[in-house]
Amino acid sequence: MKYDICIIGSGAGGGPVAYELANAGYKVVVLEKGPNYSEKDFTKDEVAVSRRSMYTPLLKDEQHVINDRDRDGVVTRYEGNEYNWSFWNGSMVGGSSNLMSGYFHRMKPDDFRLKSKYGKIQGANIVDWPISYDDLEPYYTKVEEVIGVSGDAVKHKFSEPRSTKNFPYPLLEVNSATKWFDSACKGLGYESIPTPRAILPHNALGRKGCSYSNFCGSYGCATGAKGSARAALLQKCKAEIITDAFVFKLESNEANVTRAHYYDKDMKRKSIKAKIFVVAAQAIETSRLLLNSKNIHFQNGLANNSGQVGKNLIFSAGGVGQGRIRFEKLTKEQQRELMQPGVFFNRSLQGWYEYESKGKKLKGGTIDFLFEHANIIGRATKELRDDNGNLIWGAELQKKMHKNLTTSRVLKFEVFNDWLPTDYCNVTIDDKVKDKYGVSVGAINLYSHPHDIKIAQHLAQKAKRVLHDMGAEEVSVSISSAPPPNLVAGGCRFGINPKTSVLDLNCKAHELNNLYVTDASFMPTGGSVPYTWTIYANAFRVADAIIDSLEA
Amino acid sequence: MIFKQRRNFLKNSFLSSVVLLTYSGELFGAVTTMETMSVVHKDLFGEVADVPTAESINANSYLYKILKHSKITSQNKAFIKDGIKWLNEEAVSKYKKTYTKLSDKQRQKVLQEIADTIWGDSWLENILTYFLEAMLGDPLYGGNKAMSGWKWLNHKPGLPRPTKAFL
Repeated sequence: MKYDICIIGSGAGGGPVAYELANAGYKVVVLEKGPNYSEKDFTKDEVAVSRRSMYTPLLKDEQHVINDRDRDGVVTRYEGNEYNWSFWNGSMVGGSSNLMSGYFHRMKPDDFRLKSKYGKIQGANIVDWPISYDDLEPYYTKVEEVIGVSGDAVKHKFSEPRSTKNFPYPLLEVNSATKWFDSACKGLGYESIPTPRAILPHNALGRKGCSYSNFCGSYGCATGAKGSARAALLQKCKAEIITDAFVFKLESNEANVTRAHYYDKDMKRKSIKAKIFVVAAQAIETSRLLLNSKNIHFQNGLANNSGQVGKNLIFSAGGVGQGRIRFEKLTKEQQRELMQPGVFFNRSLQGWYEYESKGKKLKGGTIDFLFEHANIIGRATKELRDDNGNLIWGAELQKKMHKNLTTSRVLKFEVFNDWLPTDYCNVTIDDKVKDKYGVSVGAINLYSHPHDIKIAQHLAQKAKRVLHDMGAEEVSVSISSAPPPNLVAGGCRFGINPKTSVLDLNCKAHELNNLYVTDASFMPTGGSVPYTWTIYANAFRVADAIIDSLEA
Repeated sequence: MIFKQRRNFLKNSFLSSVVLLTYSGELFGAVTTMETMSVVHKDLFGEVADVPTAESINANSYLYKILKHSKITSQNKAFIKDGIKWLNEEAVSKYKKTYTKLSDKQRQKVLQEIADTIWGDSWLENILTYFLEAMLGDPLYGGNKAMSGWKWLNHKPGLPRPTKAFL
C-alpha cells in the first residue's frame, strides 16, 4: 500500500501534520518508535516514571555518545550507557509532549531577527529566521485553540502582539502563595505574568479538564487535560499509527524519498511507501536518521550535500534556582495556604527579555516560577546531606527530612535564554557504538557559548531578589552549560540559501521534492522560551504548505 | 529440571548469596548479603517512635525485588553487592569481626569511616535512596506498608495511583 504521507515520529512536530492531513482526507501513516498509551494507562507511579524511567529506552540497548568540548577546546568522550547520560525524552505515541509541564510562551518578534536586532556575537552562528513573527502568529493562535492553552494575556513590557484578545481558556487555579509573589514583584517594580499552560482548566475539545493531581511534569496526564500531541491531535484524527516501529533508513533516488525502512517490535525489517515523508523524530534523532540514510545520490547523508545536516544543534540555555519558605515566618493561615496541594504556582517574569549592559542591548530571556515537584522520593533524597555536603543518616536524617518536608515548601525558578548556535555543537554519527538494531548511534557534540552563561546569570539575580523579598531561605542558584535533554532544537536549519540551510521556508528539504522536517530541528535560533508551542505552531504551518502542494 | 534449578538459583542469588571475606590475604569467613543488609538498614534509619522502620516498610524485600529490575544496571547491582563485602572487610580490619557481630557503636563507627571514602559515600547514598523508595513508593511495590511513609511526611499521593507494578 502506498500512503499519501508517512510521518516518522508522533510528538509535537509530527502530530499537527498527521491531524491536518488526515482530517483533510489524505491517507496518513505515523511510524512511532514507542508504544501507545491512553489516559487510563497513566498513573502517578513515581517509582516507575521517575525512578525507573519507564518511558525511555534502556541505555544499554539505545544510547548516544556525547563528545563534550570545554572552553580550552579539549573534547571528552562519554558513552551514554557507561555514564548513565540519557538524551531520551519519551518514546511513546505523542512523544515527550505527554510528559511536558506545558509552560507555553510564544517566541517574540525580535527572536525571529536576532542577528539584525542584536548583531553578531564572536564564535556564534546567529542568523535571522527566514520568516517573521507575523507569519507564525496565526498558528500560535491555532495552537491555543486546538491544543488548548489557558492563560490571561496581560500587557507587559515585552508582551507579543496577538490577533485575538485573550486565551481561549481561562487561567488554571493557583496556590494562594502567588499573592506573596505578586506583592514582592510589585515592591521590586517587576511585572508578574500568569504563566500560560497547555492544560485545559475544564472539560473541552472532547477532553476532560485538569484534576489538579499535583503531578504534572514527567507524568502522562490521566484526564487528557494536558495538550499532548496524542490527546489533542492523534486521538482526534484517523491517521494510522504503527507503534514500536524504529525507522533506521530513508531510501531515495536523486529527487525523492521512496521508502521508510523500519524494525518492528519483533526486530523484523519492514518498509513503507508514500508520496511525502515527514521526519519529526526529535532534533537529535532526526539528524541521525538523515545522516544514516546515505546512498549513491547523497553520500554524506540524505539532504546533506550541503553538509549542513546535524549542524547548529541548540538547547535551552539557563539554569535553575530555588528558595525555601518556612512555617516559622508564616501565620497559621499562611502555612495552610503554602501547603495547598494540587493547584499550580504559574508565575513568570519576562521584564528582561531585552536589557542594556554597558550601553549595549542584549537579548535576555524568561523566568518561570513553580513549586518543587511533588515527587516525594525525589524530595526526600534531597535531604540526605547536611549543609557541608556530608551524608547523614539515622535520627539526624529523620529530623531534617520531617521538618523540611512537613513545615516548609521549596519555590523554584527556571531560566530560559538563547543557547547560541556554534560550530562545535552538532550531531554526527559515532563510528564505534551501535544500538540494539545494529544501527550506528548519534554522537552529540556539545559546546556552549560563554555568552549564554552571562545572560542566564543576569536573569537569575533578578529571580533571586523575588525569592528573598518573599522571605525565602536557603536561596540558591545553579546556572551551567549543562544541556537540558528535553529542550533541544536545530540540526536541520531552515533558510533561503541551500548552501547554509537544510530546509526551505516550508521546511521541505532543499535537495528533495518530498521530504519535510517538522520537529524543532528547523530552528536556527531558539528564542528564550520553552520550544513546544513554537514546534506545534510551525508544524501546523508546514501542514498547510503540504496540503497546498498536494492540491497543486 | 536442571534448567529450572539453575533459574531458581539465579533468582535467589542476590540477597541470599554468600560473600567470602578475606583478611591479610587469608579467608576470614563468610556472610550473607541479606543478613548484612538487614542490619545496615536498621543502622541507617534507626528505630524511633512514629517513624517508619526498615522492618515496617519491608525494606529488605523491596530491595530484593527492585534489584532484579531490568532498569537497574548490572553495574549498580554489582556495586551494591561489592559494597556489602567491602563494608564487612572494613569491620574485620578494624574490629576482627564481621559487621553484624559488632556493637551498635562499632557499627556506626564503621559506617562513618566508609562514608569518608568515595566508594562508601556512594554506596551508602545508594542504599539510603533505595530505602526511601521502599518507604515512599506506592505500597504496590511491597514497601510503604499501610502508607506509613506517606503518613509520616503528610504526603498525599498523586491520583490515579498505579494498579500494576512496573518491574
